[in-house]
Amino acid sequence: MKSGKIFQISLILFIVTTLTIVVGIVISLINSSYPIFLRHGFGFISRSVWNPIEEDYGILPPLLGTLITSAIAISIATPLAISLAIFASEIIPSRLRSFVNNVSDLMASLPSVIYGLWGLYVLAPILHKYVMLPLHNYLGFIPLFSVKPTPTNLFTAGVLLSIMIIPFASSIIREAYTAIPYNLKEAAYSLGMTRWEVVKTMLGYIRSAIFAGVFLALGRAMGETMAVAMVVGNIMNIPKSIFDMGYTISSLIANQFPNAEAYKYMVPALYGGALILFTVGLIINLIGLHLVRRVMVKS
Amino acid sequence: MMMGKKLVLVVGLILAVAVVSLSLLLGGGITTDTVTTQTVIQTVTQKQVAGTINGAGASFLNPQMQAWASKFYELTKGRVKVNYQSIGSGAGQANFKEGLIDFAGSDPPLKKEIYDEFQGKSGIIQFPVIIGTIVVVYNIPNIETQKLRLTGEVIAKIYLGEIVYWDDPLIKELNPDLNLPHEKIIAVHRSDGSGTTRVFTAYLSKIYKPWKEKVGSDFTVQWPVDQLGNGVGAKGNEGVAAAVQQNLYSIGYVETAYAYGSGLKIALIRNRNGQYVIPTEETVKSSLIELTKILPKAHEDWSKIFPDETVDPPGLKSYPIVSFSFIILRQDYDDEIKVALLREFFTWVLTEGQKKENIVPGYYPLPPEVAQIGLEGLKLLR
Repeated sequence: MKSGKIFQISLILFIVTTLTIVVGIVISLINSSYPIFLRHGFGFISRSVWNPIEEDYGILPPLLGTLITSAIAISIATPLAISLAIFASEIIPSRLRSFVNNVSDLMASLPSVIYGLWGLYVLAPILHKYVMLPLHNYLGFIPLFSVKPTPTNLFTAGVLLSIMIIPFASSIIREAYTAIPYNLKEAAYSLGMTRWEVVKTMLGYIRSAIFAGVFLALGRAMGETMAVAMVVGNIMNIPKSIFDMGYTISSLIANQFPNAEAYKYMVPALYGGALILFTVGLIINLIGLHLVRRVMVKS
Repeated sequence: MMMGKKLVLVVGLILAVAVVSLSLLLGGGITTDTVTTQTVIQTVTQKQVAGTINGAGASFLNPQMQAWASKFYELTKGRVKVNYQSIGSGAGQANFKEGLIDFAGSDPPLKKEIYDEFQGKSGIIQFPVIIGTIVVVYNIPNIETQKLRLTGEVIAKIYLGEIVYWDDPLIKELNPDLNLPHEKIIAVHRSDGSGTTRVFTAYLSKIYKPWKEKVGSDFTVQWPVDQLGNGVGAKGNEGVAAAVQQNLYSIGYVETAYAYGSGLKIALIRNRNGQYVIPTEETVKSSLIELTKILPKAHEDWSKIFPDETVDPPGLKSYPIVSFSFIILRQDYDDEIKVALLREFFTWVLTEGQKKENIVPGYYPLPPEVAQIGLEGLKLLR
């Protein structure tokens, strides 16, 4: 009885700590950023300008850039992460399994500045030569590919991000997949299902884990700073195609923070960007939760 | 268990390789020193004091500062330890203002308002410790290094988006012998706030009035060429160097050390006397002879002079885009030992530290007249 109570109290303590930290972050973000909202109002979100000399800031391009690069990243990473998870837990010989899993976990733990350097010096030139230029030359009539690409742009950032988040999403999906009770699989095989049909059924069974993995990965993609700052092009323009150079909120913060304190309104502007990033992340996660719940109810 | 150990070993190895290659890439720009706000003090003899001084600021200054700090640590046999964190000029000034560090390193000197604020309280001294130069680099396949001739006005017009193609009449006029291609110029610039941009844009402002009116000069500016889709923003000098290398028909500006380090082609720039120059010991010396005449004293306000007045100096052979890095100190420290340490270290930096063997490649030593500004200033410490 007594130990039960201690257990309960300690749990409450942890919950309160976590909540306090989150609330504290939100309060300090609001507290540090309100001067910029007082100064520019909605214009801070709806305009495209970054002019420290005039102390004029509007972060529409980074906001769009964050959404575009994350969307590219997630649409490339999701199918690959699911395939990797299935491959690692279903297809590969069990002797090699732990090796593949270790490599994938190692990928997840690499510091992002390494991805950034690799992205800038290796990935960007390769993508430019073999993917972006051909796409632009042959499919340039599609607005998506209409801009003549430079090696660093939103597309490069999206691809680099997808590579960075695949192991994240994949390891969550893999854990869920291997946790499926074995008798379920046996039952499926005994019904005469092919391997493909079994995998399809099992994936349906772990839908919510797949969603969770993808949304966690999306969160990382939206918040990535250093790697993106090195390959996104860092231009304050509203993008018209995925080959346009752009900005993301996180990379804007990484770029501008070191000298921000030399200005009166740049620090609030960067905190304002962080607040908006936080809000967008929250909205996307809420939508995600809602989707997961609907899927759960259906099944 | 074995698996776990192996994994740790593999991760460790990879990290070690990564760190080594990174530090090579960044030219040893990594600071491993941790922040210590308290000073360890032990008095050795009456005059010689031991301890630590902490500074932070400009990243441009960082490689040279680390070299000086480790050399001085060696010379004093561990008696004086200097920590310098490369966090950017703006952040360095802010930390210094809040009293978190003993000295700040900064590319531009303090702004007038902040200078006045200090002047009223603890007093201030600021002096140059090292000279750097900024070069314009380009990537045109059939044109060798030091063949392309440019003027400040042409460079300004490129970044304004008024000159779009390499075979523009204005560029052709300067380079009648070169076969310039009809290709769009991709103008690369820094995306992070930087002292390099501050000096480069000060040069464009001084030489071409429309630049001053439309854009101005600061750590970060609104680049008109970006609006045309012909600009590229890159993070850090190394980022600009990489972007110029990867984009055919591009142009950019970097600190000189980075241009040589990455094998970029360097443009000749026309100085006031119509000579086309690149930074060499001779051309930098010529610039400095002229500059020494207009530089203020260490306790005076520098914000009007540097960089807006120091770029494009007269002198037959002068290189136009020369830049200083500054050290900023208070006058009052209320701590005798700290004052002694700061005075000892910076006196060494301004004398022995300016000798060739103590200067990192890519920087230039101060001429004795300029070093004297700092030496005089150090006398005001108390």
